[in-house]
Amino acid sequence: MTERRLEGVGATPTVGLGTARWYRPVDVTDLGEPPAPESVDTPAERERFETAQTEAAAEIEAERERTRERVGDSEAKVFDAHLQFLRDPQIEAGVDEALEDGLPAPHAVKAAFEGPIAQFEGMEGMMAERADDLRDIRDRLLRLLTDSGRTDLGDLPDNSVVLAELLTPSDTAQLDPDAIAGIATMKGGRTAHAAIIARSLGIPAVVGIGQALEAIEDKTEVVVDGEAGVVIADPDESTRTRAKESTQTSVIDESVSTSDGTEIEVAANLGTPAEAQPAVDQGADGVGLFRTEFLFQDRTEAPDETEQYEAYREVCETFSDCDEPRIVVRTLDVGGDKPIDYLDLDPEENGFLGARGIRLSLDEHAELFESQLRALLRVAATTAGAGLAVMFPLVSTVEELEAALAVVDSVADELESENIEYAIPELGVMVETPASTYLADAFAERVDFLSIGTNDLTQYIQSAQRDLDRMSDYQDPLAPAVLRAVDRTVQAGHAGGAWVGMCGEMAGDPELTELLVGLGLDELSMSAVTVPDVKNAIRETDTEAAEELAESVLAVDTLAEVQELL
Amino acid sequence: MERTLTVVPEDGLHARPAATFVETASNFDAEITVKAVDGNRPAVSADSMLGVTGLGVRGGDDVRLVAEGPDAEAALDALSAILSTPEDELDDMELP
Repeated sequence: MTERRLEGVGATPTVGLGTARWYRPVDVTDLGEPPAPESVDTPAERERFETAQTEAAAEIEAERERTRERVGDSEAKVFDAHLQFLRDPQIEAGVDEALEDGLPAPHAVKAAFEGPIAQFEGMEGMMAERADDLRDIRDRLLRLLTDSGRTDLGDLPDNSVVLAELLTPSDTAQLDPDAIAGIATMKGGRTAHAAIIARSLGIPAVVGIGQALEAIEDKTEVVVDGEAGVVIADPDESTRTRAKESTQTSVIDESVSTSDGTEIEVAANLGTPAEAQPAVDQGADGVGLFRTEFLFQDRTEAPDETEQYEAYREVCETFSDCDEPRIVVRTLDVGGDKPIDYLDLDPEENGFLGARGIRLSLDEHAELFESQLRALLRVAATTAGAGLAVMFPLVSTVEELEAALAVVDSVADELESENIEYAIPELGVMVETPASTYLADAFAERVDFLSIGTNDLTQYIQSAQRDLDRMSDYQDPLAPAVLRAVDRTVQAGHAGGAWVGMCGEMAGDPELTELLVGLGLDELSMSAVTVPDVKNAIRETDTEAAEELAESVLAVDTLAEVQELL
Repeated sequence: MERTLTVVPEDGLHARPAATFVETASNFDAEITVKAVDGNRPAVSADSMLGVTGLGVRGGDDVRLVAEGPDAEAALDALSAILSTPEDELDDMELP
């Protein structure tokens, strides 16, 4: 059989090979003729609608949480939009009017959505995609009202390529990224929700293929090339081989070295344990920054030691198939901009220049710090926890560091006396204040590693608050002052025998990888999605050329000249 | 009380920014409307998702916000801030 190529719009820079599975949701809009108005019990129908609306809201909220956990806050936001549409006064008035006219609830819903859907269909560009959102919400209500079953997208066999007319946000929320080799849809654009989710989950996707897609039958073998924007049915041997090769190069599971053999650790930044598996899938060597704030936020009291122990162990275990993974856990880093109800933080007093990070852990929240360290030292004694490392945030004096290390010692003594197994993990300092860059040599003598947090470091070195738009010109980590601070930290860290990593956003930009290698960083930690790109960039880097680049960048005095050199 | 300003998010008031806008608007007692300055569409209630997205407002367009009520000024401040924030920074904003 000869292969067939279908052109569409590539939505991800990845390629997948798998078996076609058509997703054809039941058409819930086919309601038939409404019964005669006099036979309809309008108050009962109104109640039916209200019940469906409540159930729909609960479903949307659950999908929002699932998407938030798996993908992220901003992608989950589309479900907030759905909740707003669901309770829109104009839609509710439309339903009410149709009910008053004697229509039963399903017909009333269909009628109320008709006008708005037509209005959005007539608009251009991204606004036209709102029509898809409205259809998604309408169909959800109709499905609940008519008790139609839901086609289960969460239960596909491994290596499925999902073919569909369109995937709505609610469809996409069900997808299991592990089972999906690709997505190909007839409609939709690069900015459609499904395309965005596919990108963040690393699922190869081609959208906007048109009617031609219908020619591909269920169970056909297909290649989805999200980079070139083509779908190839019945691929011939050479296409399959190419697809398999590019599937493999898109994620590099092993550790990587520069072209001349300098190994650089590429790790992921995590905000929750749920992000660990996607990071492994993207080929992360370990975790360079595990933020622990999630354990403490959105609740009424602090988590106990056991709950923390489980969460830290879960992340270590997720990485246990990797080769000697290092998992860097940062102790609680809160301040006035990251409020936690039961900690009673004041925006002023605990602001960017106030009591936050380690300062709180050594003072009024010493108990939280101790219970966190107890949990961590216990995990370090487990097999999976062998690569655990603990990092202290916002350290700006040697006294603070020594105080924190003393707490580690006292917690260890305590565990010893209680006969509980523990181990002292690698210990390190997050370098994010100007003071810590000047003291990097003193820190390096006392700990195993330093990790540069470029987001806060840029804010403090440039004296420009992160959340102020007007200061955005000052917030470029390529500013000469910041780069010199990074250089100084790496040199001082190495001189003191510590390894030096970077866990700010800068570390995840593949265009800056050569510079960072040249500056001498041993580890780069980033959002999981950028791990493959950075690994590829490292392989293409020659250390000597990178060092020359770093030298020339450090020699110029303005941001414009730095950008020119890159 | 009214205010005219230019919309910053590049893609305008589509799903995500609009959801934030509408949610914030509905937290105030003031009656708030929004209108695209250049368009011929009438002003819409700021707490209607359909109305707000239906304006078809894009980045760079001017919009006029009108608010009446005890907390009108605070409402205008909050909504102006949303319209002046690039979409990718919206999540980090503190909203009332």
